[in-house]
Amino acid sequence: MASLRPRSLALRALRTAPTSSGPLYRHTSRLPSLLSQRSPNNRSHSTSSVSADEVSHFSKLASSWWDPMGPSRILHLMNPLRHEFIASCLADSAPAGSPVPQSSTPETAANLDYLDIGCGGGIFAESLARTIPLDRAASAPTPTRAASMTAIDPTTTLIQIARDHARMDPTVEAHMRSGRFQYLNTTLEDVLAGSTPASTSASTPASSSSPTGHQQFDMVTLFEVIEHIDPTTTTPQAFLANCLRALKPGGWLIGSTISRTFPSWILNQVIAEAPWPIGVVPRGTHEWSKFVNPSELYSWAQEGLMRAADTNVTRAGPAALDGMRWKCVGTIYVPGLGWKIVPGSEDWGNYFWAVKKGI
Amino acid sequence: MRSISRAALRPYVCHSCRNGIGAGRRRFATNSSQTPEIYDVVCVGGGPAGLGLLAALRASPVTSKLKVALVESQDLRKARSWDLDSTQFSNRVSSLTPSTVEFLRKIKAWEHLDVDRVQEYQDMQVWDGETGSRISFDWSTETSPFEDMRTVATMTENANLVRGLLSRIEASGDENLTLFSNTTVASIENGSDLQSEGPDLSAWPIISVAPTAPGAQAQSPTRIAARLLVGADGINSPVRSFADISTQGWDYNRHGIVATLALGDPDKPSFPANMRTAYQRFLPALGGPIALLPLPNNHATLVWSTTPENAAYLKSLSTPAFLAMVNAAFRLSMTDLTYMMGMERSSDQFSHEDELIWRLQHTPKQSQIPPSATGVQEGTVASFPLRFRHASQYISPRVALVGDAAHVIHPLAGQGLNLGMADVAALSRTIEYAVSHGMDIGDLLTLERYSSERYLPNAKIGGACDLLHKMYTIPGQGPITWARSLGLDVIDRLPFVKSFLMKNAEGY
Repeated sequence: MASLRPRSLALRALRTAPTSSGPLYRHTSRLPSLLSQRSPNNRSHSTSSVSADEVSHFSKLASSWWDPMGPSRILHLMNPLRHEFIASCLADSAPAGSPVPQSSTPETAANLDYLDIGCGGGIFAESLARTIPLDRAASAPTPTRAASMTAIDPTTTLIQIARDHARMDPTVEAHMRSGRFQYLNTTLEDVLAGSTPASTSASTPASSSSPTGHQQFDMVTLFEVIEHIDPTTTTPQAFLANCLRALKPGGWLIGSTISRTFPSWILNQVIAEAPWPIGVVPRGTHEWSKFVNPSELYSWAQEGLMRAADTNVTRAGPAALDGMRWKCVGTIYVPGLGWKIVPGSEDWGNYFWAVKKGI
Repeated sequence: MRSISRAALRPYVCHSCRNGIGAGRRRFATNSSQTPEIYDVVCVGGGPAGLGLLAALRASPVTSKLKVALVESQDLRKARSWDLDSTQFSNRVSSLTPSTVEFLRKIKAWEHLDVDRVQEYQDMQVWDGETGSRISFDWSTETSPFEDMRTVATMTENANLVRGLLSRIEASGDENLTLFSNTTVASIENGSDLQSEGPDLSAWPIISVAPTAPGAQAQSPTRIAARLLVGADGINSPVRSFADISTQGWDYNRHGIVATLALGDPDKPSFPANMRTAYQRFLPALGGPIALLPLPNNHATLVWSTTPENAAYLKSLSTPAFLAMVNAAFRLSMTDLTYMMGMERSSDQFSHEDELIWRLQHTPKQSQIPPSATGVQEGTVASFPLRFRHASQYISPRVALVGDAAHVIHPLAGQGLNLGMADVAALSRTIEYAVSHGMDIGDLLTLERYSSERYLPNAKIGGACDLLHKMYTIPGQGPITWARSLGLDVIDRLPFVKSFLMKNAEGY
């Protein structure tokens, strides 16, 4: 059923098409998937890593993004594992974070600022925002120790879906009001250029700035994003370097993706995108050739760290890799049991990876 | 003086009254009716399941900070101060499996029970009144002869359990806990989108609670919003109706008679001395089994499942005649029993006692029968209808059902309360997982973990009890009788099959 769903939704959207008008889409956000197809309302960016095809594909999925039985079910099921993987990275080596309030110890303080790149409908961003304590001085309720969350995505409809959904939880809504949790319809390039509209507002969480002036974060997350980068405008390597630029020294860049191997082709292209009842993800979600192997990612991360350390006058050498850490672990979806972390299965398909920037 | 008594009473005073008493702050009713107070978990029903859930949530460091509320129509203060003489026992008694006791120990509630009022038993004798085939449930195949016999189950009065759980919850009391005692659910409806004022609560259940105490009716009901609304509110669950969840099931057309009995001395002393035995005899001709389960001080609780006509007849008998019938039910043949069940109620010539004595002389002496019941505690003979119900699902967005709201089963294996406690243990684990992984505890993706853990085991046990009931209500010496007796004899002789069945039933 999962794989048939988006098509039927698109049909429904087409039938009701004439009742909505383009420019008012923000207020009549009931049919975001349709509107994004008809009017090119996605932000245009001169230098963007965003692929137009990808944006239109995910716009179509938007309305069913939060349906627990919908096409995004498999992503929802993976979400708890993301928290566990982040917790394992922090257990290995935690960034210093913002100054710790007197009332809590450095190990349990909720003092890490997060940036979620490619947040989509907000599955991960909202779940992390829920763990931010309402009382700033309180110790963190979970090992992820979030103090703030900034989530960005280039797809306008998805950001609207994410904001609407976040309002359905009073805790998350309170964080959006206080500015400790924000969704920005922007690209990573714009965040780095410092042109994000909300980054000038007073409610923005206190994030330190890099030498070049843009915001930096303790934790940057990149879940199921790197395999959707547009190869015609940028390279995954350049994109990864940008992600590392957004990271404070000592911070973790954490992501998940799919490796480009024969078993993963069978699992992700042939089986997972097969018609109902076998398939679990909508057809066209993935493009096998864009998948990334752990070894490629590792070398891009090294290159990215050096590039991120470049300045206008000097080039950083291997010294930029001092203190770097690398973690990688595979996960496998077992129908009926859900996602399981299986060390050693990185080459089989989905895996989590993490890079720590040296101090 | 900031008295201790107020602190102790605090959990029993509803939130709005508490603010009124404590801070002396003024509040307008209109204000409170516009924005409901938001709770993480609201549990409707303060029976063992509901209280067990609250105690479990309070016991885990992960979930102890959740804002929780309990809504109970009875007076929880009475339940908290329940007290009986050590020779008196309530007739509402449950058998706790070792896994239930383990759960109660884990949430640190067991130490709040009066352990002098609970009775463990190490052996259970079950036999067929028609054919005499017998099975003995004990752990002797699993343990060495030098160890103490392992407990098969522990009998406890529900009132003792409820009081212990309340005491456990009270010990953890802080500002995140509210007990709405003497309070009913006036309505449950969906909230509204507060637009620019606040969150969108249109998919949240808003519970209006109203005090039941006379004179308090005039008060406007308190409105509370629940991230997760738990229905622990029994067979006619209002929460289940709100969630529009259907149930399947049937009435057994049987009643369970309960009573607290005093027992005579056993024929031969038990070995080892502290070993106690539970007895259950299936009486196909009378429509169900009779069971005698041990209580402390040589007392026992009776559960006799039989037809409504037989139940009415038994309840109308004088105490000596009732005792004679109970003793007869464990000893006489089906023919003799059927005859005695038809005797006139108060005839001077032919009393039930004399009839039993005379008929026993002509009945072969059996081994492994319970000691004679010698007295009935006054006012404890009661009956209740037996039913089978199973909700079509346990969860719905922001709603979860536990205990009798989700399933009601035949009591012949004493599993009802244990299934409810297993639900509560699973739900509290699910909530714990959700909180530690940033999940919304009312979300279907969270709750499906609970439902997938509990639905099949409950259906399996409920179905097994139903099958046993149906097999053992077929009277006479037909093929079913032959087959069930053969089955019982075979299982009794195959230790691995028996311990497999026991482990299933005990929840190991």
